Amino acid sequence: MPNTILDPTGTVTTAAARPAAPRAPRPATLRGARVGLLINTKQNARPFLEEAGRLLADRYGVTLTARTKLNFAMPEPEEVIKELVATSDVVITGVGDCGSCSAAAAADGVVLEAAGLPVAAIVTDSFRATADAMAELRGAPGYTYATTAHPIAVLTEDQVKERAARVLDDLVALLTEPDA
Amino acid sequence: MTARRMTARRMTAGRMTAGPAETAPDPDEAQRAIEYCYEQGWSDGLPLVPASTPLVDRFLATTDKDPGEIIGSLEQVGRDCTVYTAAVNAAMAGCEPEYFPVVLAAFEALMRERAARGGGFQSTSGPAPLIVVNGKIRTELGFNSAGGAFGPGFRPNMTIPRAIGLIVRNAFGIHPHVLEQATQGVPGRWSLCLAENEEESPWEPLAANGGVPGGASAVSATLTRTMEFVDNRHTPHAEQVLWDLADTISRIGSLIFKETAVAVVLCPEHAQMFANAGMSKADVQRWLIEHSGRTGRDLRLAGKNGLHGIGRFGSDDTSGDAEFNRIIPGPRGIPVVVAGAKNAAISMVVRIFGEWSGTSVPVGEIK
Repeated sequence: MPNTILDPTGTVTTAAARPAAPRAPRPATLRGARVGLLINTKQNARPFLEEAGRLLADRYGVTLTARTKLNFAMPEPEEVIKELVATSDVVITGVGDCGSCSAAAAADGVVLEAAGLPVAAIVTDSFRATADAMAELRGAPGYTYATTAHPIAVLTEDQVKERAARVLDDLVALLTEPDA
Repeated sequence: MTARRMTARRMTAGRMTAGPAETAPDPDEAQRAIEYCYEQGWSDGLPLVPASTPLVDRFLATTDKDPGEIIGSLEQVGRDCTVYTAAVNAAMAGCEPEYFPVVLAAFEALMRERAARGGGFQSTSGPAPLIVVNGKIRTELGFNSAGGAFGPGFRPNMTIPRAIGLIVRNAFGIHPHVLEQATQGVPGRWSLCLAENEEESPWEPLAANGGVPGGASAVSATLTRTMEFVDNRHTPHAEQVLWDLADTISRIGSLIFKETAVAVVLCPEHAQMFANAGMSKADVQRWLIEHSGRTGRDLRLAGKNGLHGIGRFGSDDTSGDAEFNRIIPGPRGIPVVVAGAKNAAISMVVRIFGEWSGTSVPVGEIK
């Protein structure tokens, strides 16, 4: 009887790999919603999210609460998730424009959805593969998020605003279910 | 059995040829096993040693640790590495069983790095662990600490960092183009393992700086982004060599934050020159901290003069042009190691990704 060739991958045992709860239910409209901006501190993430928030305030009268991620590379800890759930109806997070922060944006999205908050995560288009892989790892294969063209760190203030305006309809579509 | 005795036995065995009494291994079967490992997606691109239970048991027998003990976790991907999984990967990397305590110490040292736990393996930087081995384990296991210290040619130096790379790939599930997003990566990633040339170093070993004194066998590790040589073999003046090192340390391209960190791997000739000039290792560090940096103008021309928080960004503001900006925050930002042959005055500046934990891990007793 020959020996078996051993598998070096081990087993997946920690909490992060447990299947996520289903996607959060969406409101029919953002009218009057409390929008949480979870800014990941990458270059131009703040003006990008703030401009998107400003446009949503103009269009739907939303109120905004902005906070920065504790560490752009890592999913947010439970206390931050709880705080976002307590203070927001929906969350916009990003901009994932690197290996660890794009994955973290997807992970935050999946975790917040499981806690009942609709999320629009924004990732640059270079990092779709890693955002998809992280979502799948977190039990949410096919998780949907918004993309914007890479790079954004080198854009001017006006260019960032233009990008935010261009992605706005995608954010609204991700956060609402008009026919619900 | 001690490692020394096992090494002696191996060397004897190595001189034997496969005579009629010995059955030569079946190459076709070996090739099928290697291809099987490729097909499973376990390989870093090079052939793996197919691991079997008898082989992995020999690895596990070198440590007191329980095979099920978790020795590292990547929280963000929900993956753990156990002693057993580490042993399978070390076997596949081509390690000998008695290297396993060094693999465990290297992995622990690496996982003490904030950057390694916090997304470094996923980073666009594609950082490479640099592993530094100190103490008698170097000679017991046959590490190279002399000529060609950065390899290749020596089994422990090559296979131990490879084992770490396979752990990251297989146990943590960080695969290129998926959760690993290196833009270009680092040449020699998963192959950087130095043994310090303690015999020709005038100073205390790195492990002593990392809190493991007394010449004990210990491993230090950090993540790095690349390395650059400093060839300065024609001056008798220590300070000129220090200026040369400071120039390479101060390269703007590597500066993305207010502060940076480098490991300086001195060849014995440079290290002895500094010692003969009356300098301790701490003196060399102090000198380099003091003199490494750039003027505001240099930084501005390269678009890295402005600071938002800790990050460097371009700004048109010329008011800081004349100011000299130091970049190394303190001794922990510039660990000094001595390695290589005493045959030319060539040293290496290794760029650290994030910062070194400043701690070394003792190698467990090999049973």
